Amino acid sequence: MSSTKKIIVITNSFLLAAGVESLALEIRGLLVDEVFSGSEKKLCEKVLLKKPDLIIIDPVSLGEHLIPTLRTLREEPETLIAGLVSESMKENVKSKFSHQLVKDAPKYQLIEELQSIIGKYIPEENSKTLSKREVEILKNVVLGLSNKDVADKLFLSVHTVMTHRKKIARKLGIKTVSGLTVYALMNKIVDMREVERRT
Amino acid sequence: MILEKEMKLSEVILHDYNLVPIINRFGIQLGFGDSTIESVCKNKDIDLDFFMTILNSFHDPQYMDKEYLRSFPVELLINYLKETHKYYLSDKIPEIEVIIDDMVVEARDDKGPYQLLQKFFKDYVYELKKHIDREEALVYPYVIKLSSSLKTASIPDSVISMVKEYSITLYEKEHDDVEEKLNDLKNIIIKYLPTVKDQKNRFLLLKELSALENDLADHARIEDLILIPKVEILEKKALLG
Repeated sequence: MSSTKKIIVITNSFLLAAGVESLALEIRGLLVDEVFSGSEKKLCEKVLLKKPDLIIIDPVSLGEHLIPTLRTLREEPETLIAGLVSESMKENVKSKFSHQLVKDAPKYQLIEELQSIIGKYIPEENSKTLSKREVEILKNVVLGLSNKDVADKLFLSVHTVMTHRKKIARKLGIKTVSGLTVYALMNKIVDMREVERRT
Repeated sequence: MILEKEMKLSEVILHDYNLVPIINRFGIQLGFGDSTIESVCKNKDIDLDFFMTILNSFHDPQYMDKEYLRSFPVELLINYLKETHKYYLSDKIPEIEVIIDDMVVEARDDKGPYQLLQKFFKDYVYELKKHIDREEALVYPYVIKLSSSLKTASIPDSVISMVKEYSITLYEKEHDDVEEKLNDLKNIIIKYLPTVKDQKNRFLLLKELSALENDLADHARIEDLILIPKVEILEKKALLG
C-alpha cells in the first residue's frame, strides 16, 4: 500500500460529502475513498472492509444508530474516527467523538484540525523492503502454511504472525495469498517446485 | 451531469465513452445519428426508465434514483445483470487474456514473471466464474420465481416457505477475494514486473483491468442498491399475502 491515507465519509448530505472531499484534497497524501449514506445496509461491515485510516461521520445521518455504529467501528483500533459536528449540536452527541471537525469553521482551521487528526504525511520510501523476518513469514505463507503453522514453526505467537502479515500486505500492496505467491516467485523468495509441492 | 431522456445519445457517448459497453448490453449499436435517448429506446423496445437508471448509475456512482426503483420489473434487472456477466466472460476476459498471452510471447529470455501473471489471472477468472455461476444458479432463479408467483391470484405455500427459508437479506455477497485479487494484479504490474522498453501491452493491460474493475464495481452497486431493496419489497408482499 502507498502512504496515501484513506478516508471514508458517512453522511446523507451530498454537500457535506463534497465539502469533505475538497478539504481532503488540500492535504497531501489524503484521499476520500468512498462516501456512504447513513442508512446503507451493513454499513459498518462495508466501511471496515475498505480498511480506512480515518472515518468521518456526520452524526445526523445515523440518527439513533449513532451509538451502535460507533461501537462496531471502534472494534478496529487502528482506524481513527472523527465527527462532523456543529456549534449548535447537542453536547451529548458531540461528546461521542474524541476527534471533531467543526462544520462552521473556516477553511484553514479545518485543514489544521484534519491534519492533527491524521498526522503528518511521511513517505515510507525507506521502509518498503521486507525485513528478514517478514521474508521468512512470507515464504511460509506462500508455501501454504496457516498462521498457526507459521507461528509454531518460527516460535512466535499467532498474533505476532498476523501483525507481520498485515505489515507485509501494506508494504507490498498485495493482500491475497495468490498475489503474494506471484511476488515471492518473481523475487526468488521461493521457487516453482516448492510452490507446486504445497498442499 | 445527470443524463436525461431528451438528450441525444450521441452527445452522451461523446461525453462519456465508458458508456459504450453499457448501451451495447442493451443491443444498441453505434450509428444512431442524432436520435434522443428516448427515441432510440422506443425503436429498440427498451424500457426507458430502466435504461436511464443504468446509464446514470454507471456514469455517476453517486447517482441512484430511488424513484425509478418501483417503475420497472425485476426481470429486466436480472436480464441486464446476466448480460453483464456474459460481457465479462465472453468479451472482456478473453481480451485481457490475449494481452497477457502477448506479453508472454514478447518476453524472449525471461518468460517466468509473465507466466506467473498468466497463471494468476487464470485463477482469478476461475473464481469470478464461480461467483457468477452461484448467482445465476441460485439467486436469480429465486428472484424470478418470487416475482412471477406474485402475479398469480394466490401465492403458493411453497413460495412462502421459500421466502421464509431463503430471503435475499441472507444472500450475503460472499466477499470472496475477487476484488482484492484484481487490485493485487494491478500492483504487481505497476510495481514488480521487471522493467522493459516496450510498455505498450503493459499499459493496455492496466487500462483494461481498471475498466473491468469499474464495471464490476458498478455491477455490485446495482445489486446492492437496486436489486436487493427491490426483492425485499417483493418478499414483504409475499409474506403479507
